[in-house]
Amino acid sequence: MIVEIIISQMPYLLHGLWVALQLLACLLALGLVLGLSLALLEVYGHWTLRWLGILFERIFRGIPAIVLLLLFYYGVTDFVEIGSFMAAVLALGLRSAAYQSQIFRGCILSVPPGQMQAARAMGMSKMKAVRDIVLPQALRLSIGPWTNEFSSEMKATSLAYVIGVVELTRQAKYIISSTQGNILIVFAVVAALYFIFNRLGNWGLYKLEKKLAVPGFEQRGDA
Amino acid sequence: MRKKLQGLVGGTAFAVVGALGLNAANAEALVAGVEASFPPWAYVEDGEYKGIAIDAMRAIAEDQDMEVEFKDLPWPSLIPALAKGRIDLLVTGLNITEERNEVLDFSIPWWENDDEVLVAEDSDLNVVTALCCGATVGAQGGATQYQWLEDNLEANEDVDVTLRSYEDYVTAIEDMGTGRLDAVVTSTDTAEDFIAKDRPVKIVGTIQQNQPQALAVQKGDPNEILGKLNAGIMNIYESGQWTEIVKEYSPQSTIRSIPTTMPDYVDAYEEPIPGYSD
Repeated sequence: MIVEIIISQMPYLLHGLWVALQLLACLLALGLVLGLSLALLEVYGHWTLRWLGILFERIFRGIPAIVLLLLFYYGVTDFVEIGSFMAAVLALGLRSAAYQSQIFRGCILSVPPGQMQAARAMGMSKMKAVRDIVLPQALRLSIGPWTNEFSSEMKATSLAYVIGVVELTRQAKYIISSTQGNILIVFAVVAALYFIFNRLGNWGLYKLEKKLAVPGFEQRGDA
Repeated sequence: MRKKLQGLVGGTAFAVVGALGLNAANAEALVAGVEASFPPWAYVEDGEYKGIAIDAMRAIAEDQDMEVEFKDLPWPSLIPALAKGRIDLLVTGLNITEERNEVLDFSIPWWENDDEVLVAEDSDLNVVTALCCGATVGAQGGATQYQWLEDNLEANEDVDVTLRSYEDYVTAIEDMGTGRLDAVVTSTDTAEDFIAKDRPVKIVGTIQQNQPQALAVQKGDPNEILGKLNAGIMNIYESGQWTEIVKEYSPQSTIRSIPTTMPDYVDAYEEPIPGYSD
């Protein structure tokens, strides 16, 4: 009976998962672009920009995701007309930018300073040295810690239902309430879905890390 | 590396644009906020909104030539979302209370409810022992039942009860199943729905509240929908559609004559009532 319910409800759970994955892609993309810019500002920028970057990062790392969601849905929407999904992308994406900026900042700083000095000595401009020498190394290094961010944001998408994004967790609640029960089994299936996609994402990212690795060039030991 | 990264960023940007396109809502339609985990009033089954409030709202919309789309929000978010104008009307089994009257305007009441005291099927508790003497009682946070328990039992020093609030009644009933709660107090239709769906609970007593329920719009009715709602409610009631809808979801319910009790503190019930007495 419960197996039948799960099988018949699977398309709706998968649709919820699809919405969660869209939210994840959007918020990670926003976080990636903004986070990398923030990291570059914090490392190379003028002190005023650096200070602004740090302020942004402290604020968004210091507020719970669920509070950010409510603030964006009820607060920001007073000024700009945005829907639940956009509000969730902004709230979680800006928060992710704060976390990602720290990943990228750490990785940029872990590229030995000699690399920069050598590039400059060869006559490269600072911009070119960052783009062609420092970032290719730093970004490779950042894939590892970034998988962690991927996992934690994937799980954070489950909070978006509080502002009306009908993602996987909310779909599960629909099934529970329309059958007035079965909480454990439905959430066990949902947990399995989150777990599987988390592992898949991490597996892909590790593959990417391996693929991009430069043979013979390792940082281990000499950093 | 750079090419690959560019590809990656380009791909995600594409996903962003695609997802935004999906979310473009119909700007014309009124947005009706529902809590879609509240059978028999509003719930989702097989990907479709269902329930008394949902079907009645669809019938009213058809009758009054309105375009309405449903938006699901968790119960504690619904009233703030309406007050903030994130949704245009509230369509659920919404009880009329004085506090809510301060922040929203009610349609004419279409339902009346009492509260039921539920205990586990194998429990020995009765209506008195379930609500006193060290019992732990659950209700939905922000619901009128919770408010009643707080004002009448918890605030009374002679009655020793512990209250627990839940986001929805399904979790409260589940918690009673595991023995963390002795009793759950919920409205008559929700209680009967649990029993109809074979949950292991029984009703040990009824708290008579004659609690009217209605639809609601933003305070002051800025979109002028109250008149249409009231006229639509009367039309579907008089045509018999209302009875059909209620009987489909809740065959055991008695249909009350609409409008049910109209409390005199409700601003929207001052004569003339738009769509009803004008």
